[in-house]
Amino acid sequence: MEVKLKAYLIFPSHSDGLALEKVLKNSRVKYTIVPTPRVLSKCCGISIEIEPEYISLVEGFLYDYPNINIEGIHILEKKKSNLFNF
Amino acid sequence: MPDYREMWKSLKMDIEKHDQLCEILPRFYEDIYLSQENRPEAMNYYNFVVSEVHGLRIQELEEHRSKGGKVIGSFCVFVPDEIIDSGGAIGVGLCGGSEFWEPDGERVLPRNTCPLVKASIGAKISSTCPYFQSCDLIVGETTCDGKKKSWEILRDYIPVHVMDLPQMKREKDNISWQDEIKIFMERLETMTGNRVTTEKLSESIKLMNRKRKTLMRLYNTRKSHRLPISGKDALLISQIAFYDNTERFIEKTNELCDELEKRIEDSISVFEDDTPRILVSGTPMAIPNWKLHHIIETSGGAVVCEETCTGTRYFENLVDEGGKTLDEQIKALADRYLNINCACFTPNMGRTEDIVRLYREYNAHGVVYFTLPFCQTYATEFKKVKDVLDREGIPVIMIETGYSLQDTGQIKTRLEAFFEMLDTDKGRAASK
Repeated sequence: MEVKLKAYLIFPSHSDGLALEKVLKNSRVKYTIVPTPRVLSKCCGISIEIEPEYISLVEGFLYDYPNINIEGIHILEKKKSNLFNF
Repeated sequence: MPDYREMWKSLKMDIEKHDQLCEILPRFYEDIYLSQENRPEAMNYYNFVVSEVHGLRIQELEEHRSKGGKVIGSFCVFVPDEIIDSGGAIGVGLCGGSEFWEPDGERVLPRNTCPLVKASIGAKISSTCPYFQSCDLIVGETTCDGKKKSWEILRDYIPVHVMDLPQMKREKDNISWQDEIKIFMERLETMTGNRVTTEKLSESIKLMNRKRKTLMRLYNTRKSHRLPISGKDALLISQIAFYDNTERFIEKTNELCDELEKRIEDSISVFEDDTPRILVSGTPMAIPNWKLHHIIETSGGAVVCEETCTGTRYFENLVDEGGKTLDEQIKALADRYLNINCACFTPNMGRTEDIVRLYREYNAHGVVYFTLPFCQTYATEFKKVKDVLDREGIPVIMIETGYSLQDTGQIKTRLEAFFEMLDTDKGRAASK
C-alpha cells in the first residue's frame, strides 16, 4: 500500500499560523488548516498541512517573513483512523 | 504550540479527562471533514475554528469576563440572542453532540434520556467542556420534558434561568412569551449591570438579522443544481454560528459565499450531477454530531438542506427592525421566535408546510427524517409529517439514531436502498 506523507507546520500561537496562511494564500502552495495531530502536541490548536514537496518553498517564505514564528515542520504518515469503517 | 492548560486549570476543568476528549476530536474531524475532495478554500476558516474550539474562542470569552463581562450559555434556538447581546453579554450554544459525555450524563439522568440532553449535562458535571466552565449563567427552556427536569439537576452545578416557552401559538401565548423575554432581560440587566435600551436592542436586532441573512445566503447556494459545498460543511458552519464571534462569523461566511457563488457560475460541484439530493428534517445536531450527514454523503447522497435547529429553524424569518420602543421590539422578537416550528408545539402543521416548501425550494429528491433516540416530540410528529409527504408524493425515510457509531453500517444499508429508489435525473434517464 502506498504510504501518504504530509508535512505539518506547528506554531507557537494561532496568530503566527494565520500570518503564514496569508502568505500561502498568495502563493502556489496548496495548504489546509488542520487540528494539530496529537502525536505532535497535546495542546489543542492549529497547524498547517502541506505536501512535503513544498517544504523548501515554505522555508523560503519563513526566511522572507522573519516575524512569523514557527515551532517546527514535521513529516507524518497520513492514516485514516477508520472510525466509521467505510 | 499555545499552551491553554493554565487557562483550562483556571476554569476548574478535569484536564486529564479533557485530554481524552482532545484525543478523539482531531481524528474524528480528519476522517469526516478533511477526507473530502475539492472543498472550498474558505473552509480553512472553519478548520481553524474547530482546531481552536477549546482554545482561542475560550480565551476570547475569558478576556471578556476579565473585564467584568458575562457569558451566557443556552441550548435552544428560542433563547433570544438579541437580548444577550444588547445586555453586553456573549451568548454561546452549549448542546453536547458527543458520545464522550453520555456516561457522565447517565450518572444523574435516566439512561432512556435523549443523547443530546445526556451529553449536555454530562459535559458540565464532568468539567470537560470549557464553554460550560466559562458560563456565568445558563438559560434553559421548556421545549421537552428531558430538558425541563435536567435544569433542576444542573442548578446544583451552575446558576440556571429557565424561560417558559408556550406550547401553542395563540395570541395569549405570544403575550406570555413577551413576558418571558422581559423577565430574562431583567435578570440579565441585574447580572451585568447594563441596561438594555431601545438603541442597544435595535443594534443587536440588526446584527442578528445580518447573521441570519448570511446563513440564508449560504443556504441559497445549496439550491443550485450543482452543489458548490457539501452538506457536511454547511452543517459545520451552522454549528459554529452558535458560538463564534458574530461579526467575524458574518465576515468569514460571506467570504465563503463569494467563493461558492463563483463556483456556481463556473459549474464547480462537490458531487456528481445525478447525486440524490436530500432534505434532512428533525432533531438538532450539536457539534460534533456529524454522523448522519457523513453516512448520507458516503452512501451516494448529498444533503441540500436541514430543516432542524442547526439548520433553517435557526435563521429563517427576520426580526422586524421597525420597533420604536422596547415593548415594540420585544413584541417583534416574540413574533419572530414564536414563528419557529418546533415539535414541542401542538398543533404544529407549520413544520410540515416548511418541509414541503424546503423540499421544493432546494430541489430535493427525498427526505431523511432524523430523530435522536427518546425524542418523543419529533418521533411522534413523524406520523403527521409522513401523512402529508405521502399525499404530496415526497419519499421519506425515518432514521432514529444516537451518537454511537455502532449502527452506522445498518443505516448506510438502509440509506443506500432509499437513494436507489429516488427519482433522480439518472433514474429518469434510465427509464426512458
